[in-house]
Amino acid sequence: MISDIGRSVIEYYGWIKRVISFFLDILYWTFVGPFKGKFSRRQNVVHQMSFVGLRSIAIVFFVDIFTGIVMAMQMAYQLEKMGAVIYVASLVAISLCRELSPVLTALVVAGRAGSSIAAELGTMKVTEQIEALETMAINPVRFLVVPRFLALLVMLPALTILGNLSGIFGGFIIGTTSLSINPDLYMQTTFNYLALKDIYSGLIKSVVFGMIIALISCYEGLHTKGGAEGVGKATTRSVVISFILIILTDCVLTTIFYFSQK
Amino acid sequence: MNNREPVISLKNVSKIFEGKRVLDDVSLDIFAAETFVIMGCSGSGKSTLLRLMTGAIKPDEGVVLIKGKDITRLGEPELDELKKAFGMTFQYSALLDSLSVEENVALPLREHTKLADEIINIIIKMKLSLVGLRGFEQYYPAQLSGGMRKRVGLARAIALDPDIVFYDEPTSGLDPVVSGIIDKLIKDLSVKLMITSVVVTHDMQSVFEIADRVAMIHKGKVIATGTLDEIKNSADPYVQQFIHGNPHGPIDFFKEDINMPQALGL
Repeated sequence: MISDIGRSVIEYYGWIKRVISFFLDILYWTFVGPFKGKFSRRQNVVHQMSFVGLRSIAIVFFVDIFTGIVMAMQMAYQLEKMGAVIYVASLVAISLCRELSPVLTALVVAGRAGSSIAAELGTMKVTEQIEALETMAINPVRFLVVPRFLALLVMLPALTILGNLSGIFGGFIIGTTSLSINPDLYMQTTFNYLALKDIYSGLIKSVVFGMIIALISCYEGLHTKGGAEGVGKATTRSVVISFILIILTDCVLTTIFYFSQK
Repeated sequence: MNNREPVISLKNVSKIFEGKRVLDDVSLDIFAAETFVIMGCSGSGKSTLLRLMTGAIKPDEGVVLIKGKDITRLGEPELDELKKAFGMTFQYSALLDSLSVEENVALPLREHTKLADEIINIIIKMKLSLVGLRGFEQYYPAQLSGGMRKRVGLARAIALDPDIVFYDEPTSGLDPVVSGIIDKLIKDLSVKLMITSVVVTHDMQSVFEIADRVAMIHKGKVIATGTLDEIKNSADPYVQQFIHGNPHGPIDFFKEDINMPQALGL
């Protein structure tokens, strides 16, 4: 029993060390490699951006607009008792920009793009395609991981902005219809209380989440072992680990942004 | 033949995987422009041997010299430089399935040379006609048969005009005619372009067709090396059993400690 615990602690410690060194490798090939003439092909980056970003637009839009709607309805129920229904506008906007939109968007993208990255790289690994690249002296991190990393780094904040807007729009629909708030007043209240920090703290979070998704899904994909079953396991692991890390990091970042000065 | 410098030389190489000695004190010399076949049963360690030569894995003991350079001590940039001088084909061809045939063959050219696209296109056409696949440029690997994929893999392996080509089971899983075509291609490349070929296989027909020299591996040890004729006429019972595919002989398929009838409850 104790030896089992010991073994898994050592295993996790080893995993963390390997993931960190993989992360440094990605940073090297992303930021140092280009100065040594080792570029990632622009075409690959654009392709990944369209896959990660453009094709997630619909799902991010729907997830956030309904979150905005649900939040507006739930908050109105509480605020009505105090006769402060107008504050639905600012509450929806602030909680979306700070927390919900970055986190929900990251979870959606981890489930959609992260899993598919892990499955794709995992299949490449078990069918010797990764080894073929290495034999051709093409670094798999530069060739496969960097385009995905850059794509997530840019597209996740972009999707988060879209999420912010669609969430606010969702709140606006409820606010102006069933709560009968004047549309101008609704928008005014939204932007009066929404500080710049609410927006950029959310965007910084989404940049970090983008890195986490790219790091974990690429790591799990490239370290797949053992055929189709291995690919399945790698995909599941990448989603589960990304989810846990996203929530955990969100907790840490919220503490840093909003509770560290007190 | 032995007065020449070997292109590839393995000296007392051992490799251990999870406590099991997969290769045990292997020494081999492979010379320029010859076709050297490594044969042995599945699991004998022959693929591991090939991966040691390509630098994909490092030996636990011994040295691997390619063109006189010890690849176990080279840093990544030097090893990458050396890798550009050799090509490799894989058992399941290992083409990138997100890229078309054309893009697969062009990949090493685009990554390692600064050639203009027009020139790359000409090279692709040349390499594809060499393997008899002109007109398949726009196909994707999933649309091709196993034999065609292996030929595309071969075109990719020779895209940078390497001096050494490694073949991992080039004819396994192919019908006899396609196997014959692949064998002829390997032979042609080594004769016409003076390429050194290292072939790992257990397809005896192909061995007789292409080999200049042969090494036989059994349980991680080289048990025989020699020219094709020397191997054919070898008195070694292991070699004889292997080349004739005889079920009875010293190569034991079943573990000795298992009594099959008893294990099956008969």
